[in-house]
Amino acid sequence: MALVTRRFSVPARLGLALLLFFAIDALAFRTGWYVSILEPDSTAGFLETYLKIEERRPAGRYRQVLTVGDSRMGLKSRVANLVTGDTGCAFGTISVPGTTPRCWYYMLREVDPDCDRYDAILVPLDNYDDRTWENQADRDLDINYLAPLLRVTDLPRFVLSFPSWDNRARAAEAVLCKGLIFQRDFQAFLEHPHTRLEAARLQEEHAQEWYYNAVWERHSLAGMTVDWKAKTLTLPDWLTAGKRSEIEHVLLDEPAPVSPLFKLYRRKWLGAILDRYRGSRTRFIFLRLPRGPVVRPEAPAPDPDSTARQFAAAGRVVLLPEHTFDSLERPELFGDALHVNEEGGYQFSMMLAGEIGRVLGAAPEGH
Amino acid sequence: MLFHTPQFFAFFVVVLVLFYALPRPARRWILLAASYFFYMCWNAKFVLLIIALTAIDYTAAMWMRRLPAGRKRKAALVMSLAANLGFLGFFKYYNFLAGNLAWVMARPFDAFALHIILPMGISFHTFQSMSYVIDVYRGEQTVIADPIDYALYIAFFPQLVAGPIVRARHFFADLYDWHAPDAREVLRGTLLVVFGLLKKLAIADQFARLADAFFRDPAAHPGYLAAWSGVIAFSIQIFFDFSGYTDMAIGLAQILGFHFPENFRRPYLARSITEFWRRWHISLSTWLRDYLYIPLGGNRHGRWQTYRNLMLTMLLGGLWHGASWNFVIWGGYHGALLSLERVAGVRERQRWTIADPLRVVVTFALASIGWIFFRAATLHDSLYILGRLFSGPHGHILWWHWQLWFMVVALALAIFEESRGWFERLPEAPAWVYASAIAVCLFCLELIGFTGRAVPFVYFQF
Repeated sequence: MALVTRRFSVPARLGLALLLFFAIDALAFRTGWYVSILEPDSTAGFLETYLKIEERRPAGRYRQVLTVGDSRMGLKSRVANLVTGDTGCAFGTISVPGTTPRCWYYMLREVDPDCDRYDAILVPLDNYDDRTWENQADRDLDINYLAPLLRVTDLPRFVLSFPSWDNRARAAEAVLCKGLIFQRDFQAFLEHPHTRLEAARLQEEHAQEWYYNAVWERHSLAGMTVDWKAKTLTLPDWLTAGKRSEIEHVLLDEPAPVSPLFKLYRRKWLGAILDRYRGSRTRFIFLRLPRGPVVRPEAPAPDPDSTARQFAAAGRVVLLPEHTFDSLERPELFGDALHVNEEGGYQFSMMLAGEIGRVLGAAPEGH
Repeated sequence: MLFHTPQFFAFFVVVLVLFYALPRPARRWILLAASYFFYMCWNAKFVLLIIALTAIDYTAAMWMRRLPAGRKRKAALVMSLAANLGFLGFFKYYNFLAGNLAWVMARPFDAFALHIILPMGISFHTFQSMSYVIDVYRGEQTVIADPIDYALYIAFFPQLVAGPIVRARHFFADLYDWHAPDAREVLRGTLLVVFGLLKKLAIADQFARLADAFFRDPAAHPGYLAAWSGVIAFSIQIFFDFSGYTDMAIGLAQILGFHFPENFRRPYLARSITEFWRRWHISLSTWLRDYLYIPLGGNRHGRWQTYRNLMLTMLLGGLWHGASWNFVIWGGYHGALLSLERVAGVRERQRWTIADPLRVVVTFALASIGWIFFRAATLHDSLYILGRLFSGPHGHILWWHWQLWFMVVALALAIFEESRGWFERLPEAPAWVYASAIAVCLFCLELIGFTGRAVPFVYFQF
C-alpha cells in the first residue's frame, strides 16, 4: 500500500484532519465559549455557575474560607458572612449537590489554580468512618459534572480512577472529545437557540444573587417520632408519599458498613487535594455534618483507621470534634432525612462560622 | 459486530495490519479467516450454513466445467439453485408460508410455525452465489478452481451481510489482478468510511428515533403533518442507513484493494420511479434485471408481457426484502408505478428541465408512500397511515428544527454532487480541503452522532 506519493500523503492528510478536528473541538469546548451557553439547569451548567460565582467573589480583607461538599453541606454563606466581623472569615461555597471528592479536586483546581486564595477549605463528611453503600469511584455523574473542567493532561488520572471500562471510556470522551458529553445539551441548544441564550444571559446576570439569597425548604419534620424497635416512623402530614418512603428508607434501613473501597477512594481524592495544597497557607478543616433529624440510638464503633482520622493524626487536616453539631440533629431543623431546612441552615451556618473563627484564631486587628 | 462499533474498527485494524504485513499468498487466507470470524461474532453456528452453501455452489460449478451443455449441466445448475433457494426459503419464508397456511385452514397463526433464526445476510450471499453459478452455466464466468478464492468471494466481510451484491467477474478480477491501493484510493476509502459513519450515526439513527416513535403508535401522532413527517423520517432513515453502510463497505474494501460497485446514486433526486430504481440499491436492481427480468423476456415480447415481467420482478424483489404481505405490496406498488410510467411514456433524460424539481418531489413522495408498507408492522397499520397522509387535522411536524436544517444542507450537498461530482474530486483536492472535510464530518459525528446502544443497520435483517 503506497501511502505516500508525489501528490498525496495519506498520513499527512489524515493527521491534518485529526489536528483540525481537535482544533475545532478545542475552539468550541475548551475556550469557555460553549460553557458560557450551557443549559443552566444541566449538571455541568449547574456546577459551572457555582464556580463562576466563586471565581468572581471579591477577596476582601478577611480570611477566605471556602466550602466544598454536596447538597448535605448546610452552609449558607450569606448567613455565615453576617458574622464576618466577629469571626474574621468571609465564606464562599462550591458545595454542589451530587458532587464527590473527585469532583472537589477538579473544582478546587479551577477556582484556586495557584493554591493561594484560601485560608481554609472546609470539607464536610457524612461520617468520619468511610461508611457508604455506594461505590463512588464509579459514579458516572462525576463525568457529566466535570466535563468542562478536564484537560488533556488529566487523561490517565481521571480515566483510570473509574473501575469500570464503560465509565473509563466515557471519562476518556470527556477529556478528549467533549462534544460527545455535551451532545444532548448541544442538540437542545440547536432546537431553541434564542431561549437558551436568554437563559444563559439571565443566569450570567443574576445567578450570584439567586444562589446567595436562595431560600431552602421552609417546612420541617417537627412532630416526627421514631420507634426504633418496631422500625416505624410517624411523619408530618405535609410530606408527599415519595418523600415519606425516602425518609423511611434513609432512617430505618441498616447503617452503611465501613467500605474498604470507599476508604481507598477517599484516601485517593482527599489525599490528592491535600497534596496539591502541600506547602501552601491553606488549612483543611474536616467536619462531620449533622447526621439527620433523628439519630439511631446504637452508634457503630468508630474506625480509628478511617481516612479522616488518619489525615488528622498525620497533621494534615484539622478534624472538628465529631459531635460538634449534634445539637442540630433535631426534626425541626431538617426538611428531609438528609438535608437541613432553612432554619437548620441558618443555625448550622452560624455555628460553623463561629467554630471556624475559633479554629483559625481571633480576627486580625482592624477587621 | 456492526460496522459502526469500536469493536469493528479494532477488528479491521488488526485485519489490515495482518493483511499488509503477511506475504501475498497468505492474504486471502487472512481475509477468509477474518470474514468467518466476523460472521461468527454474530452467530458461530451459522457459519456452517455459509460453508455448506459455498461447498455446494463450488461443486456445482466444478461439475459444470466438466459437463458439456445439456441436461446434466442444467441439472447441476438446478441442484445449486435448489439448494440456495431451499435454504433461503426455509429460513426466510417458512414461517410466512406456515402462517398463511394456518390462516387458510382457520388454525391459530402459529399453528405450524417454527422457531427459526434468520441467518444474517442470507439474502445477499445466496444471490451472490446464485449469480456466479448462473454465469458459469451461461458461460459468462470462468469456473473458480480454488475453493479458498471462491469461499472468500461469498464471505468477504465488507459485503457479507448487506451487500453490495458483487458479481463474480468483478471480484475475481480484483483478486487475481490485485494491486495495493495507491494513496488516492486509500484517501477515497477513508473518506467513504467517515461519510458512511456520518450517514449512519448522525442522520439515519437520529431519524430512526422519530420514525420508530411514529410507526410504533401512529395514532399517538395526529394530523397529516405528523404523518408525512413520520413517513419522511423513515425515508431518510432507510436511505442514510443503507447507503451509509454501503459507503463503509465500499471504503473498507477499497482500503484492502478491492473495488465494489456503486450501490446508490442520490436516489431521492430521481425524476421518476424508473430512474429511482436506477439509483437505489443498484446492485440488487441490476441483479433482478439480469437474472429475473431479462430471462422472463424483459421488454422483448410486447407491451403486456413487459408489464407482467415488471410486476413479477418487483413482486419477487419485494419478497426478497422480507417475508410478509407488506413487502409483496411494496414490490407490487413499485411494479405498478414502473408499468404506469411505461404506459405514460416517461423517459429518462440527461438534461434537467424547469419541471424536474417538481418531478423529483412527486417521485420522492411516491417512494415515501411505498416505504409505509416497508416499515409498518402490519397491513392494517400501513393502510391507516396511508389514510392519515391525506385526511384529518394538520397536527404538527415531528422533527426538530435543526434536523430540518441538517436535511437542507444534505440536500444541497446532494444537488451539488449531482451537478459537480464534488465527492469524487475530494481525495484529489488540496490537503487542507480534504482534511477539513474529514474534520467537519468528525465534528458533526461528535455532536449529533447517535451514541446510545448501537442501532443495527436496517438491511441486516434481510
